[in-house]
Amino acid sequence: MHLYTFLSLLLIFGPLIFGLLVMLAPGWRYKTPVIVLSALTIMAGGILLALQGPFTLSIDSGLMKALPLIELLILAIIIYIGFAIKKMLIIGLGILQLAIGLISDMLPHSVQAHVPTLKVDLLAVIMVLIVSVIGPLIVMYAIGYMKRYEVHGPEQMRSTGLFFFFLIGFLGVMNGLVMSNDLKLLAIFWELTTLCSFMLIGHDKTEDAGESAYRALWINSLGGAALMLASFLSISASGSASLDELVAVGSLLPLALICLAAFTKSAQLPFQSWLLGAMVAPTPVSALLHSTTMVKAGVYLIIRLAPGLGGTRMGQVVAIAGAFTFALASAMAISQSNGKKVLAYSTIANLGLIIICAAIHTPLAYAAAILLTCFHAISKAMLFLCVGTIEQGIGSRDIEDMEGLMRKMPITTVIAIIGMVSMMMPPFGMLIGKWMALEAVIMSPLVLFLLIMGSALTVVFWSKWIGRIQTVAYHPVYKIEDVPFSMFATKGVLLLGIIAAAAVVVPLFKRVISPMAMAMFSETVVTSRSWDLMNSASAFIEWPLFFMLALVVPVLFLVVRGIKKSHIRQPFLCGENLEGAKTTFEFRTLMDKGESARIRSYYLNPLFGEAHLTAWANPIAIALIFIMFGVISK
Amino acid sequence: MIMIDPVITALLAIFAVPFIGAFLVGLDRKLTARMQSRIGPPLLQPIYDVIKLLHKEPIVVNRVQIIYAGLHLIFMVLCVVLLALGQDMLMALFILAFSTISLILGGMSVRSPYSRIGSQREIMQMLSYEPILILMLVGIYLINDSFMARDILASGKPLLLSLPLIFPAFLMVMAIKLQKSPFDFSTSHHGHQEIIKGITLEYSGPFLAILEITHWYEIFLLFFIITMFWATSIPVGLLIAAVCFFCEILLDNIMARLTWPWMLRFMWTVALGLAVTNVLWLYI
Amino acid sequence: MNCREKSPWIVHFNCNSCNGCDIEFLACLTPIYDVERFGIVHVGNPKHADILVVSGAVNHRNVRVLKNVYEQMPSPKAVVALGACGATGGIMADCYNVLGGVNQVIPVDVLVPGCPPRPEAIMDGILQAARLLNVHQKDRHAGAEVRLTLQPVSEPEKV
Ligand code: SF4
Repeated sequence: MHLYTFLSLLLIFGPLIFGLLVMLAPGWRYKTPVIVLSALTIMAGGILLALQGPFTLSIDSGLMKALPLIELLILAIIIYIGFAIKKMLIIGLGILQLAIGLISDMLPHSVQAHVPTLKVDLLAVIMVLIVSVIGPLIVMYAIGYMKRYEVHGPEQMRSTGLFFFFLIGFLGVMNGLVMSNDLKLLAIFWELTTLCSFMLIGHDKTEDAGESAYRALWINSLGGAALMLASFLSISASGSASLDELVAVGSLLPLALICLAAFTKSAQLPFQSWLLGAMVAPTPVSALLHSTTMVKAGVYLIIRLAPGLGGTRMGQVVAIAGAFTFALASAMAISQSNGKKVLAYSTIANLGLIIICAAIHTPLAYAAAILLTCFHAISKAMLFLCVGTIEQGIGSRDIEDMEGLMRKMPITTVIAIIGMVSMMMPPFGMLIGKWMALEAVIMSPLVLFLLIMGSALTVVFWSKWIGRIQTVAYHPVYKIEDVPFSMFATKGVLLLGIIAAAAVVVPLFKRVISPMAMAMFSETVVTSRSWDLMNSASAFIEWPLFFMLALVVPVLFLVVRGIKKSHIRQPFLCGENLEGAKTTFEFRTLMDKGESARIRSYYLNPLFGEAHLTAWANPIAIALIFIMFGVISK
Repeated sequence: MIMIDPVITALLAIFAVPFIGAFLVGLDRKLTARMQSRIGPPLLQPIYDVIKLLHKEPIVVNRVQIIYAGLHLIFMVLCVVLLALGQDMLMALFILAFSTISLILGGMSVRSPYSRIGSQREIMQMLSYEPILILMLVGIYLINDSFMARDILASGKPLLLSLPLIFPAFLMVMAIKLQKSPFDFSTSHHGHQEIIKGITLEYSGPFLAILEITHWYEIFLLFFIITMFWATSIPVGLLIAAVCFFCEILLDNIMARLTWPWMLRFMWTVALGLAVTNVLWLYI
Repeated sequence: MNCREKSPWIVHFNCNSCNGCDIEFLACLTPIYDVERFGIVHVGNPKHADILVVSGAVNHRNVRVLKNVYEQMPSPKAVVALGACGATGGIMADCYNVLGGVNQVIPVDVLVPGCPPRPEAIMDGILQAARLLNVHQKDRHAGAEVRLTLQPVSEPEKV
């Protein structure tokens, strides 16, 4: 067997088998080593694949004949779930998909040998690398998390073995999704991610969890139906369906349908509600959904289809929809005090940003989209892991309750702060991506305007949050938190990853991503303006940045070291400081009583409140989707 | 300035700029005093202040503060250096924003209600001026087809003629950045007792001096941008900058401070409206 | 150093004063007297200040506040006590709650006499204190700085 075949089998089916093993392993004593081993294997497989480089693989037609059967089985499961939870919507969507699938199977099939079933190009390699390096880290984090969760979580929740089966299996499904070129195969993996997320979100079996899982299922089934329809249209037009062909033919209706599917999966407005609901699940699930799997599937598809979208009217509408999501999701994040919800909105916003870049389709935008996908995955994974730890530590995910976290959980707090800083500040990759995105969209005024407003808004909620958790009291007593090794180590690895990524971002861009974008565009005609932008971005002089940082770090270190204990004074409270106060917000009032000042952050609810912003944003987003379909006929 | 070896330019920017900034601050104080029929401090007063502060005891509430003060300065210097080297303006503006964010985080890192309030107000200020600054750059790009500062300086026609509406919008941003009434919410040059200097409250001694020096760089930066609006002839550009400077000080002395919701509304309607209108006609 | 004399920043604390001294002190800031021409800035908080200007007599309630404010100033720092009250307690000296002059609690550098003192005298006092800052800086380097302990001197008698 060739190495390619082996690696793709390992990465797609390996996780499912590993998951099964973990499920069957009795007790934590056996589970833990199995989980760690399988995570490491997946990781090794992903890295090997990346070293191996791009390849394509054709599966012989005999095996492909089995696909409709598998599809049928999955749809039957979805319809069964619909009956089990008594939701007509699910049953309806399931039957709709079944019908489309059956009709398209009936159509005459011409299997073309030159179209590969699996196509692992550079983009797919990057995605596989993201999935199978960050994903296993999250799985390992889940060891420590679930041990505690079993004790503190709701009583009626599903078994932890099942949880790990879906968690690890998800990675395989996602690997399959990014590798497959055949639309049928893609649709199967697509449905499988939906099913996995349904099971994981509903893990707690509380009323909330059930509701959220149901919502995730129906919204994503809607996207699945759109994807099936796209594949049906493509088959009926040319006899076979693959992503390559779709891009090459460039007929817009299937593309629009796939964009719709991507919007549902990437939780773009108006489909954002399922991702917001998904935060009821245990935190490793959120981390997985938000960073490496699930939502990334949507943007991956759009980046993949970008050559077909570029320069069309529809592409512009997709970009506007993405920009709208970016601005509005950032605005809504300001009004949230629930930490996980802020992260969720930030994910939605960043996915919107990636969609803009993909749909604009200039070399610079393409490069930006890939950079953002990578850096978002790693930063968001780490942030979710931190919030999970914090939540278990203080029993709340409210940002206001995280006041003075630095004292209670110093290590987690520092990691979280670096994670948040990496979402917005130099020298981290997100900023570079945003910068390139801004320069890339310069010729589309509406997108640009929304992007500018959105990026001003993102800064607000991140700095509010950082400000809240980092406060250190006067003469603080740090209590090093007690966190299981797995939770601690995975965050450490991710932290190192972020720092390493920041250090290599410029060379990475110049060596890998920029040539990749250039190669992508070597045949297509690109305006000289967008080439100019690409060249100027590639010529960006980074040495002052690094020189300054290299200079400053030791100086700051020396200055900080030079501060003696006697130099540390209480903060100014008009002189009414309470002696021996632990938190220095305490001051003396009338009758020498001690009282504590409490400063809440600004949430700007009248302006950015979630409810009333959603009320008018969703109709506009729905209208944008209709416009997306409408411009096709023009 | 741009022709010289980049290292020399960078060093020049790092060491000469603060003195220009200090001079402008001194002039500001002097002019303000004259407008209030006072004699006012000597022109070099800002430099005296900073030297004095540098020699004071370095007291802090916690050590994290210091790191943020350092980042505040460094990002600002970096921004000035990038501009002096004729680099990408958009990146420079981002870095300017991070300088401000560092200041905000520094203010928030201490558990002091006053500096907390000051920081939050500073966030609101940033929210209100950031889009306008970027829109200004977009306008400049549409005229020159480049984000590079060196191309903008080398372009043949004055920007002011093509950006007549963005210019006043930028002046409003400048009023915020210079901490001038009616926009001096987070901290102010004059209202020393109001929310007790807000965001800078918990910085003292050398660290306050760092903030002050950063402010000098910032002032120079703003003047650089104003002069850029008439880059074809430097004397005219400087004259425009001088007139604007005077107007800002006048405004500062005749206006009362309003509330931050007012500022947010004002900037997002009037100033943003001006900028968007201007950019729109450049697109068409 | 010269710069220290040229930029004394002051913080004003009202200890139990009758407001006479405060009014005269604030008069210094007006255009007629214009202290800013000496580089004097009235900052609102001790963290930025060099000179603490205290008006009025110290009592049991505000002694802690006075000490805190003094303690939160970075050295070198100087203290100017305004008026008869600042010096000895003045007409308030015999009140049941009054401890006495400012120098009962913190080291005072300059006493400005009067009830209330004239703005010219106050300005003169501040500038003299500014000159003393140099002496304090030398003391600081020699390690001979005055440091306070932050305990209340005595509990008020129960009446
Ligand atoms: S010295 Fe005279 S004016 Fe000053 S506080 Fe005492 S009584 Fe009032």
